[in-house]
Amino acid sequence: MNKIIKRIKNIPPVLIVIFILVIVFSQFSRNYLTIRNLLIILQQSSVLLVISIAATFVIISGGLDLSLGAIMTISGVTTALAVNAGLPIILVIAIGGLTGFACGAVNGTLIAIAGMRPFIATLGLQGILYGFSLALTNKVGIHVSNEKFIFLGDLVNRVVPMAAISCAIIFLFALYVQNHTTLGRYAYAIGGNEEGARLSGVNTTFWKWLVYAFAGLLCGLGGVILVARLEVADPIVGIQWEFEAIAATILGGSSLRIGKGDIRGTIIGVLLIAILRSGLNVVRVPSIWQPATIGTIIILSIVFQVIITKKELGKK
Amino acid sequence: MIANKKKKVELISSLSRFGALFILVVIGSMISDVFLSGRNISNVITNASVMIILGVGQTIAIITNGPDLSAGSIMTICAVIAAILVKTFGMFFLWAFGLAIILGIALGLLNGFMISKVGIPSFISTYGLQWAVFGFAYLILRGYVLYDFTASFRFLGNGYLFGFIQMPIAVMIIVVISGIAVMKWTTLGRRFYSVGANSESARLSGVDTDKTVIYAFMISGGLAALAGIVLVARINAVQADIGRSYLLPVIATVFMGGTSPTGGQGSIIGTVIGALIIAIVQNGMNLLAVPSEWREAIIGALIIITVLIDILVRKRFTHLQKA
Repeated sequence: MNKIIKRIKNIPPVLIVIFILVIVFSQFSRNYLTIRNLLIILQQSSVLLVISIAATFVIISGGLDLSLGAIMTISGVTTALAVNAGLPIILVIAIGGLTGFACGAVNGTLIAIAGMRPFIATLGLQGILYGFSLALTNKVGIHVSNEKFIFLGDLVNRVVPMAAISCAIIFLFALYVQNHTTLGRYAYAIGGNEEGARLSGVNTTFWKWLVYAFAGLLCGLGGVILVARLEVADPIVGIQWEFEAIAATILGGSSLRIGKGDIRGTIIGVLLIAILRSGLNVVRVPSIWQPATIGTIIILSIVFQVIITKKELGKK
Repeated sequence: MIANKKKKVELISSLSRFGALFILVVIGSMISDVFLSGRNISNVITNASVMIILGVGQTIAIITNGPDLSAGSIMTICAVIAAILVKTFGMFFLWAFGLAIILGIALGLLNGFMISKVGIPSFISTYGLQWAVFGFAYLILRGYVLYDFTASFRFLGNGYLFGFIQMPIAVMIIVVISGIAVMKWTTLGRRFYSVGANSESARLSGVDTDKTVIYAFMISGGLAALAGIVLVARINAVQADIGRSYLLPVIATVFMGGTSPTGGQGSIIGTVIGALIIAIVQNGMNLLAVPSEWREAIIGALIIITVLIDILVRKRFTHLQKA
């Protein structure tokens, strides 16, 4: 009996909230708990998951990146330009990913090498990148119609959620990096105690740089999939994404103060945001209410999550 | 000796700021004949006024703890509320202003609470609050634009004090002088600096650090509300995203003014000069007809460059000190 109670206590509170939300929403509509709706939720949330694991990586290393949404946006724009130029798909994906990597590398250079504070460097870059993507697109979205490319994000035959599958592949890749590579280990080490890591011989400057560049790469790939799913590259689509990504990371149990976190936890955070989004539609919350509602709920849940994490750390 | 040297560096860096301002003015007058006309100059200073009012609050927040990234959204929602109270409910404009500023202070209190009591770093809690607050502003206005306010409402933006000082400039001067007074001559001002420099040692010497942080963000919120009201009174219209374009320039303003991102260092006079620089840059972009999509990019680049130079100068200085 005690064991069961202990198990229940060990379930992250966010998961319980998700469970309750699903039950509540499913009461409002018979279509909520259908496979079709779940597939749609998966499709819609998968790119946010990619951006969120990028945010998690940066946060694990003790940093912050407010330019993730902008990196995703500009990578989407270069991707769309590449598709419409008729390049082969592999090259298109590489261009999207490399755009992201390059932007992340700029962040890394400013933060790790020049020693700027993360929020300044990434906020500044955010402005610059949106400027570039608006200029590259002439302020209107670029449509893509290459079927081979769109396949990457399509809901094929209404049953195969390709965007979710592509993002799952990226997730597994990131999970491998987190758990089995030097980059992953050093990210934790730098986040836990940067000075300590440096003194024990870790080239913290390089690995910190690589963390931001890697996060940029992930966002670049996320941008590729987003364009494939929406079939258009919008020059300001990424506004506010970094906030949701950071929120998902915190809801997933990562800590902002010490090198603690796990991209597997971030999945739960993303799920919560995705379920809220789709649920608000099911409950027929008018669309003008949604930004305020989602923003408020996310902030409240961050506050609760931080309080809970603090208490847990206090116990140890 | 070291203190002396530090003073010297501060002097040099503030002189260089004046130098940059001067060079910009020269460049501006070369770019366009209109630049040095009385009309354009008063336009630049009036534009800078809104940024300075915002910037004073932002400076205090950054000196004490960290940036208030929600300032743009607070200024928006407070302007929206003031406009609606006057326009739709026919409230006397001073009461509406008062209520809007109280709302701003309350939102600042919320920021301060999340930062000090809950322990969410300022750049995350304020960045998050921003999206919720913009959501509410959008919700209240329902996507519409409110415009054409009564003359008494607009006086704050268009009127003249004593017949020759534009009201935004007058408000800005009052804010700057009270800001300097608070930072220089009150216990609260000294606490802002000491908490920003080293929160732990401030706490150990008996400062209520949580309260100090909360006060700093309340001031920032209140001033953001004031800036929003002045802006709306000036442009005579309000929509749900008027504050969005102010976030990057204000952050740039503060760092250009020499306020250190690490906290504990900075001055309001510096911010005033920073705001003038940014206002001239924006004015120059107008005169040169720089496409709108590049403006935010240029301001973003300016932020990064300024902070980079600041870091380089400081590194130089510490090297000299060691040698």
